[in-house]
Amino acid sequence: MASSSKASDSSQRSKRSDQGMGKDAAAASVVPIHANLTQLIRQVQSGRLAYIKEKLEVNRKTLQRHSCSLFDVAAAAEVASRGTDGGNALSQRAAERQCGSDLANGIGERDVVSVQEENLATGTLALSSSGATAQRTIVRFVKLPLVEKIPPYTTWIFLDKNQRMADDQSVVGRRRIYYDTVGNEALICSDSDEEIPEPEEEKHFFTKGEDHLIWRATQDHGLNQEVVNVLCQFIGATPSEIEERSEVLFEKNEKHSGSSDKIESRLSLDKTMDAVLDSFDNLFCRRCLVFDCRLHGCSQNLVFPCEKQPYSFDPDENKKPCGHLCYLRFPQWREGFKEMHDDGLAGGATYTMESGTASQRVDVNVMYESEDSNRQKGNIRSMTLVGTSGSKIISSVSAEESTTTPSADISETENVSSDLPPSSLRKHKISKHGPRYREHSPGKRQKVFTSDISFEGNIMNKLSIPEIRDTRLESRESGGDKLRILDESTKKTSRKDMCGESPATTMENVGRQSNKVSSTKNFLESTLSCWSALERDLYLKGIEIFGKNSCLIARNLLSGLKTCIEVANYMYNNGAAMAKRPLLNKSISGDFAENEQDYMEQDMAARTRIYRRRGRNRKLKYTWKSAGHPTVRKRTDDGKQCYTQYSPCACQQMCGKDCPCADKGTCCEKYCGCSKSCKNKFRGCHCAKSQCRSRQCPCFAASRECDPDVCRNCWVSCGDGSLGEPLARGDGYQCGNMKLLLKQQQRILLGRSDVAGWGAFIKNPVNKNDYLGEYTGELISHKEADKRGKIYDRANSSFLFDLNDQYVLDAYRKGDKLKFANHSSNPNCYAKVMLVAGDHRVGIYAKEHIEASEELFYDYRYGPDQAPAWARRPEGSKKDEASVSHRRAHKVAR
Amino acid sequence: MPPSKARRKRSLRDITATVATGTVANSKPGSSSTNEGKQQDKKKEGPQEPDIPPLPPVVVNIVPRQGLGCEVVEGLLVPSRKREYKPNSKYTVGNHPIYAIGFNFIDMRYYDVFAIASCNSVIIYRCLENGGFGLLQNYVDEDKDESFYTLSWTIDQVDSSPLLVAAGSNRIIRVINCATEKLDKSLVGHGGSIHEIRTHASKPSLIISASKDESIRLWNVHTGICILVFAGAGGHRHDVLSVDFHPTEVGIFASCGMDNTVKIWSMKEFWIYVEKSYSWTGHPSKFPTRNIQFPVLTAAVHSDYVDCTRWLGDFILSKSVKNAVLLWEPKPDKRRPGEGSVDVLQKYPVPKCSLWFMKFSCDFYSNQMAIGNNKGEIYVWEVQSSPPVLIDRLCNQECKSPIRQTAVSFDGSTILGAADDGAIWRWDEVDPAASSSKPDQAAAPAAGVGAGAGADADADA
Repeated sequence: MASSSKASDSSQRSKRSDQGMGKDAAAASVVPIHANLTQLIRQVQSGRLAYIKEKLEVNRKTLQRHSCSLFDVAAAAEVASRGTDGGNALSQRAAERQCGSDLANGIGERDVVSVQEENLATGTLALSSSGATAQRTIVRFVKLPLVEKIPPYTTWIFLDKNQRMADDQSVVGRRRIYYDTVGNEALICSDSDEEIPEPEEEKHFFTKGEDHLIWRATQDHGLNQEVVNVLCQFIGATPSEIEERSEVLFEKNEKHSGSSDKIESRLSLDKTMDAVLDSFDNLFCRRCLVFDCRLHGCSQNLVFPCEKQPYSFDPDENKKPCGHLCYLRFPQWREGFKEMHDDGLAGGATYTMESGTASQRVDVNVMYESEDSNRQKGNIRSMTLVGTSGSKIISSVSAEESTTTPSADISETENVSSDLPPSSLRKHKISKHGPRYREHSPGKRQKVFTSDISFEGNIMNKLSIPEIRDTRLESRESGGDKLRILDESTKKTSRKDMCGESPATTMENVGRQSNKVSSTKNFLESTLSCWSALERDLYLKGIEIFGKNSCLIARNLLSGLKTCIEVANYMYNNGAAMAKRPLLNKSISGDFAENEQDYMEQDMAARTRIYRRRGRNRKLKYTWKSAGHPTVRKRTDDGKQCYTQYSPCACQQMCGKDCPCADKGTCCEKYCGCSKSCKNKFRGCHCAKSQCRSRQCPCFAASRECDPDVCRNCWVSCGDGSLGEPLARGDGYQCGNMKLLLKQQQRILLGRSDVAGWGAFIKNPVNKNDYLGEYTGELISHKEADKRGKIYDRANSSFLFDLNDQYVLDAYRKGDKLKFANHSSNPNCYAKVMLVAGDHRVGIYAKEHIEASEELFYDYRYGPDQAPAWARRPEGSKKDEASVSHRRAHKVAR
Repeated sequence: MPPSKARRKRSLRDITATVATGTVANSKPGSSSTNEGKQQDKKKEGPQEPDIPPLPPVVVNIVPRQGLGCEVVEGLLVPSRKREYKPNSKYTVGNHPIYAIGFNFIDMRYYDVFAIASCNSVIIYRCLENGGFGLLQNYVDEDKDESFYTLSWTIDQVDSSPLLVAAGSNRIIRVINCATEKLDKSLVGHGGSIHEIRTHASKPSLIISASKDESIRLWNVHTGICILVFAGAGGHRHDVLSVDFHPTEVGIFASCGMDNTVKIWSMKEFWIYVEKSYSWTGHPSKFPTRNIQFPVLTAAVHSDYVDCTRWLGDFILSKSVKNAVLLWEPKPDKRRPGEGSVDVLQKYPVPKCSLWFMKFSCDFYSNQMAIGNNKGEIYVWEVQSSPPVLIDRLCNQECKSPIRQTAVSFDGSTILGAADDGAIWRWDEVDPAASSSKPDQAAAPAAGVGAGAGADADADA
């Protein structure tokens, strides 16, 4: 018996694992487990039986009730009808007929056989039955008149914009049986066995019954190897899965049995910005500006443009206080803040040059130090986190002190900070930050004083704060030597700390401490310590968007969370901290001041670039020769076209050789991260009078639609002009090459084709080269298209359209009415793939003047070996003839 | 089984045999296809397009759980002989297969009347008390190529004359008024042949039709309006083969088809359109027909074509080509549409039932289910008992041809089977005790029916 052998096997294993236990004992312990579990399983199974029985019984009763009520209604109706009318129309007629047809003809051989004779000549149907009641019934045919059928189609959904295929719509790897309409042949349209991958080992999903079994087993026998092994036999899961599950169950039961769950009130504020923005980053399409974009999909690569819009910055003098808590209303703060605001503008750029190189150095040092043990590294990390928050408090306190008590100096910490040679301070704009730096010493003194009165565990934390901060300062000054010494001391303290408290609680402690100290002081001190991670991230975003403008940040991003003065205070202290240690390591969590620096720096750079470029623009006269990118033109000149799918590159500044766009041969578009001066960027057109409708226009020549964001003179006016004309660019010029973008399509009608099946018709007359509409559909990969094509070719109606190297359009289930336009070798329309805002789209254009309500045809341009039989003949029809081709038929644009 | 020349639906046996050597044979129901599809996708996109993530699936196929505590109660194939049936008569209609047969449960006056659909004709009969058939009416489509696949009874809401709705390969739904023997309406709109039509039990003007064009349409036969179309992003990916209205909850129905799934749809949010359809006076084509794209639940209970589905209270009976009918409970998630779970409760094995387009039927009270098989046998199951009880296996040496569709009379005393060779088989209950209370079909069907119902009620109490 398999189970018993397994059981003994497990017992041996358990013996191996537990040497102290004898073999007999092991065997003895396994047997009851086995029996016990078998019993448990039986319990579960019988419970299931009872459950089903009960469910069915309940269901039966409700159904019975319902049927009876339905029956009562029918009975009432029957009684009513019997009273009034002749009632039983069917039986009446039948009775008449039976009287009339009394030609009893015993033709049947058996008494149970009835034969029906159809007399097509007289249009009657005769029923003959033989036996005791031999009779013959004759009824007349009642003809159902012909009704015109509509051509066959599969239900489809209208799409005004292409969509990418969803995961579950694929036919790849699926078995599909197809029934030939003519020959009754059953065919399998699916992959060969090799193509279908073996289903991978799935993770076992535990049912309620299995949970119960595991729970009871572990409760009765404890969680050991034997139990797990026996469970494995009963449940088709691996031992590790069972162990994992039992732990989950244990936790679940623990939670259930009592310990009250602590509900955290400000849960959302504890999240970081990344977590909060997760859905935005993943679901928002930055190209279509919609959530859950069906074209580009979710979780797109985030491309941050290296150029940013400049923000307007009002000088302090003109500014009005934004509210009663605006920093401008606190005159004692005003000077310092103003300096900081200015500093933020002017000083930002200078720092980063140094920080770029210096921070790397520090990084190396820290890594070196922490090579010894990971644990220490962890400690250092946690310490530095504290250090940052701690320093904020310190600086706030110090700021307060500087205004109220200018008394200073003489403390233990002063010794540490005085290690720094004053000359080095001067290097760092001592003119500006020196005073502020000096203000910190009383802060530190204060800190130490605080830690003196607090309990010991906190002392360690407090002590490490200035040390770490100073460590960084040291490293900035004198490289690795001093850093190592100081880090040694840090390590000592951190070892003592034992990491018992999480950084968060430490921070809380710090906050409490500072409260205790500054209980008599300004409310600001108390609030400063409780900047949550989200608030900090929001603040940073604010810096990114508005610059160092506390009014705007507080109003737009931190409304209800922080007041302007709080933001300003925070900014001030951050600025101070930043000034003191401009080489913060990005890898250290909680350090974000450098990010702020980065934003500022980028901002500055972007603005200067923009100014520079604008100036140059006027001088340069664009011609179509210079504007179009050579690779694009080359492809358009190419007779055999193959468009390449564009995806935005994330290159910062200039695109080099490793830019994915350049690598694939596409131009960089406005969605790329690179700057506007990127050499690979398509620069649009400067057309003046040609309306961008000839090959004179570089956009047109490159099979692109003009883009108002890129082209100089192509613009769109919106509204009916009642709100005033927009500033006209290029002398009232109207671009004729933005029809797909603006959806300026003709009205298309769907009707019965003159050729075959359905057809598309135009409502109003159009001229040559007019845009009629877009051929929309599902974007599928070439592999998927091959599979679908096989199925479609069997049904002899294919809506596949080659789009580019990556995608094929399939309008079978999703599309628009133009999918019904038939093929003709002498067509009145043509299809053209256009690049519209980075996406390839198929436009249908008039090849000649078309009168109103004419049917539309275009040449499907099948590949030479792909064309179905009907497409090869001059006046072929699309749907009704048998396909000989075994290759999938694709439409191709010109 | 001889290779029939005119049979539309082709045997699946050869196909399943070849496929059984492949991968799908021993995999879990439903899970195989989706997983393979996904994997293939990943594999495909791996080297070629690494930075373009696929769109999330539109519809989540819900697979029943398996394992301890999720066992399915399977019925034993031992006839209990609770009720015994004897073959009463064979009736040869023609050479063409009969795809549909159905009693009129809508109108009590005609509980003994049934109709069949074969080739291009629809014929109405009465079950005579002597065990024979009475021919009543015969309707023939003028188009010789028409082949009716389905029919359903309903009732005119004005003068309550019996209406018969039939449709097939011509994609046109014919509404026939049997009192006047005239074609009442022709409903045009489907783009593919129509596989099944069902009538709403309590609102007989509403019918739903399942079609090859991957859509389900809700019609009002009174005004001839197509009220709603159920198809699109979350709809069926292949022919829809069967539909059924929920018996108690108005506006819920189930559908199944060749894409191996059973979908549950709700029209509750669009009920205003259903009401509007009754009073619509304009041209039917001007009615604002709405499209519903997403079902309430998509269940992957079967791993092959699902060709018949019926509600049994809040549970669903559905059948694939795998020799069994399943009873399962759909548990849609009220808060998150499209999600939920399914629980397979019972299994009713039906040997040698591997063709597709083989449909089962129940009596008025859904106590008995009759289903034919490839060999001309009919299995009668007591569906509502747990574990399921096989009432009887009806077989006859002369009946060899597959039975596509069965019809169970109001109280289950008569069972009809429509065979592929164009014959109707009639089986009657032989229990002497029950024969007295058997419906007196010629004179007063109501009396017999009442007795039957009373007996059922007694048994219940």
